[in-house]
Amino acid sequence: MAAAAIFLLFHPALLAQDFAVVGAKTWTMTSQKPVENATIIVRSGKIVSIENSGTVPPDLKVIAGESKVVTPGFFNAATQIGLIETGAIAATDDRASDWDRLGAGFDVSRALNGNSLLVELARADGITGAFVYPSASKKMPFGGLAATVKMRNTVEILDRPAASLVAYLGDGVWKNASGSRAVEWQALRMALEGGSRPSRTGAADKAEMKPDDWALSRVRAREIPLSIFADRESDIREAIKLAKEFDIRIVIIGGAQAWRAAGDLAEAKIPVVVSPALNLPYNYDKLGARLDNAQLLARAGVEIAFGLVGGRISSNYNAGLALREEAGIAVANGLPYFAALRAVTTAPRTIYGVTGGILTEGADADFVIWDGDPIEPSTLALKVYSQGIELPTSTRQDALASRYLEHVDKKERR
Amino acid sequence: MSNFTFGGCREPSEIAPLAFVRVGGLMGAVTMQSAIRFFPCAARPVRGRNSLVKIAIAILLGAAVAASAFPSPLSARSSWDNPPIPSRYVAPARQSVIIRGATILVGDGGRIDDGDILLRNGKIARVGKDIASSGELEIDGRGLWITPGLIDVHSHDGTFVLPLLDIDSHAGDVTEGSDINVADTWIETAVNPQDVAFSRALRAGVTTLQILPGSTPIFGGHAVVVHPVPAATLAEMKFPGAPVGIKMACGENPKSTGGKADHKDWPTSRQGVFSYMRASFQAAKDYLANERSGHAQPNDPKKAALAGLLAGDFRLHMHCYRASDLAAMLDLADEFDFRITAFHHATEAYKIADRLKAAGTCAAVWSDWWGYKAETLDAVRANAPILEHAGACVMMHSDSPAVGQRLNIEAAKAAAAGRRIGLAFSAEQMIRWTTSVPARALGLEDRIGTLAAGYNADLVVWSGDPFSIYSQPRLVFIDGAIRFDRSDAEPYAATDFELGRIEYGEVK
Repeated sequence: MAAAAIFLLFHPALLAQDFAVVGAKTWTMTSQKPVENATIIVRSGKIVSIENSGTVPPDLKVIAGESKVVTPGFFNAATQIGLIETGAIAATDDRASDWDRLGAGFDVSRALNGNSLLVELARADGITGAFVYPSASKKMPFGGLAATVKMRNTVEILDRPAASLVAYLGDGVWKNASGSRAVEWQALRMALEGGSRPSRTGAADKAEMKPDDWALSRVRAREIPLSIFADRESDIREAIKLAKEFDIRIVIIGGAQAWRAAGDLAEAKIPVVVSPALNLPYNYDKLGARLDNAQLLARAGVEIAFGLVGGRISSNYNAGLALREEAGIAVANGLPYFAALRAVTTAPRTIYGVTGGILTEGADADFVIWDGDPIEPSTLALKVYSQGIELPTSTRQDALASRYLEHVDKKERR
Repeated sequence: MSNFTFGGCREPSEIAPLAFVRVGGLMGAVTMQSAIRFFPCAARPVRGRNSLVKIAIAILLGAAVAASAFPSPLSARSSWDNPPIPSRYVAPARQSVIIRGATILVGDGGRIDDGDILLRNGKIARVGKDIASSGELEIDGRGLWITPGLIDVHSHDGTFVLPLLDIDSHAGDVTEGSDINVADTWIETAVNPQDVAFSRALRAGVTTLQILPGSTPIFGGHAVVVHPVPAATLAEMKFPGAPVGIKMACGENPKSTGGKADHKDWPTSRQGVFSYMRASFQAAKDYLANERSGHAQPNDPKKAALAGLLAGDFRLHMHCYRASDLAAMLDLADEFDFRITAFHHATEAYKIADRLKAAGTCAAVWSDWWGYKAETLDAVRANAPILEHAGACVMMHSDSPAVGQRLNIEAAKAAAAGRRIGLAFSAEQMIRWTTSVPARALGLEDRIGTLAAGYNADLVVWSGDPFSIYSQPRLVFIDGAIRFDRSDAEPYAATDFELGRIEYGEVK
């Protein structure tokens, strides 16, 4: 009873307000062009209409959008927000399985923490969704099962658990255990060949299978993609072969040298999640990393999304701002603007099998009102909506800044 | 801003001007401003021993007094205390250039719309409107923006060399790790010019960067200032006559190495780190006193380096995050009468903006790094805006070959955080954080960081507003020579490392 009451209390349809946003340039992502001076009508958490200079029903609250820009909420295609709060405290770090009984089946969805300050900050930066991946486990070459998250104003941010199985190939990740990346590829093939083999149609009962086997069965059944962290061309081409031989879906994450295999990746319909700003060879797998990687991939017809943005620190601690900055860097280096917007809205959601990322009649009212071009890092997210509910965008950083700004101003007045 | 500390110059090229100052003192007519202009490295306003005030007094008292009152940075107390590598940097041949009709951000807070700039003999000859030309190469700057070359006061390029090698995990060149005090080391002896990060910095508009040693030891050693230009040796990149910095670190980094197997006798706590600093400065003070009084003492390069700090010969760049650490360091500096030029990282500087302002100590900060360790948990993106608003000295820095390619965007992100809390900054104000302010921190404020007549012709011609993510450097000048031109058929010169390896560079 109580649970039902609480459920009703927080049910989005009850919290969502009916309102209209008027005057904003609106990227619906259903067209290469934005709707100028749009009137967006939202009722019961859903978008009713988006029309140029549309009229507003008299009963609706109006939110001024003049000189503003509206886009779907952004989506970070490779981050670990919700799995770590600070590197200073191991107890806040739930990114990896150190238990030798859970490799492929390690399921990060059990550890997600929507109360993390990293989530709050990403939300304030206009991120409403993300692909949250596990780090390397103890069972080569797997990390485990990644989840997608959806920003809400609660601790509960899980959207789709087990959205993809994650594996790490090359880049020295397993060097001490494998001795050679050939071992890593063989271990991956052995895992895909082994275990119980459910039919395509009759997916095996999860309860009857060990978690690692179940995770692999999802991949073999093409229900979820295998996301392979790889940078070197030889590994990327090995992944293409694997996709063909095993008839499985693969996503490449990282892909520093993916531009060298762009045509073949496009032909194999393998999406690539890239960090557009990566132009430094941190290791030998990343030789030839270049700022127009995203552009070259997109031009060849590869589906791209952006993740691992901002490097080791900001990919988690600034998962929102770094995403926007790197989308801008991709455009500065030749990627068409619309393709960059797709890579942070629609594309990653499509790759990982979740809805959203487009603003169209009947879609959830998940969008952001920006005070300018959203892929300029100096632009601010003014309002962030999920299912028509305005999410809080003030952060602990804002509270600290305000406190000490007040100190400065008091001293000045004295 | 006359209360900033300045280090002495040890470069051969500075010998003549310094000698001339001393003689010039007898002439008795050297104004402070002209002294700064003509003897940039020798005559600097400082609180310490080399102050212009003291020089002025010396002028009154006569040169004989000056000789003892101001031990020359050149009359080195010990040979250990001189830079081991002289600058062999030479600007390439260049022609006179005039760029017309650009939006010019001067670097010192000024802005000239539809402005012209004339470069001659490696220097800026004129900046203004409708400058008369006389046969110079004319560049149409309409629609373009011009800023001083960007300056990064915190780089590890050339020592954190990419790609990282196996050996770097236990024997890298960022930091000498044999002792908690490696003040006697000189990072210039480690720099590998073939680090690709230099080439990336140059094409991102960086014309000067300071390579600092790392922050594992408390006393990390001497820094070096370079131009990120293609070269076979560090000497060919080394900024001629730049004051020398020394790196120190407080907080988590130095304390966290203590107690480990290799470093059992290193401090393991903040109080241990400060105690070690205090003891070291006391020893250096005694060493300096002995030296001044002519008492014989064993040559000790570590003490000599710290004595140099106390004597004001070196500029101190401090790695510190927490407000309480910053404040404790300022107290230590008061106790031993030395100056801290800048706190680097300083994620909590905004909490003590007034103290930093009063001390004349700058903060060199990121726009948004936080969270990765305990002392970063109170970082705010509005750090720089709050400091600027309070009248304290603030600049952006990188500490990273990635961020080092986007110092302009660091400033843009910081300013946006200011806008979020009601502090607005114009482009001409923001550009200071990556140009004239870091120039001041390096003691090079009379040569670089500002677009004004007489300054080195270090500048960037941008495709648009430099604080937009879409803008890119079109031309990068160093000492009047074009070192990067995006319109070249092959604008990206391969480093030796990249040459013959997998393709480099971006499609235009």
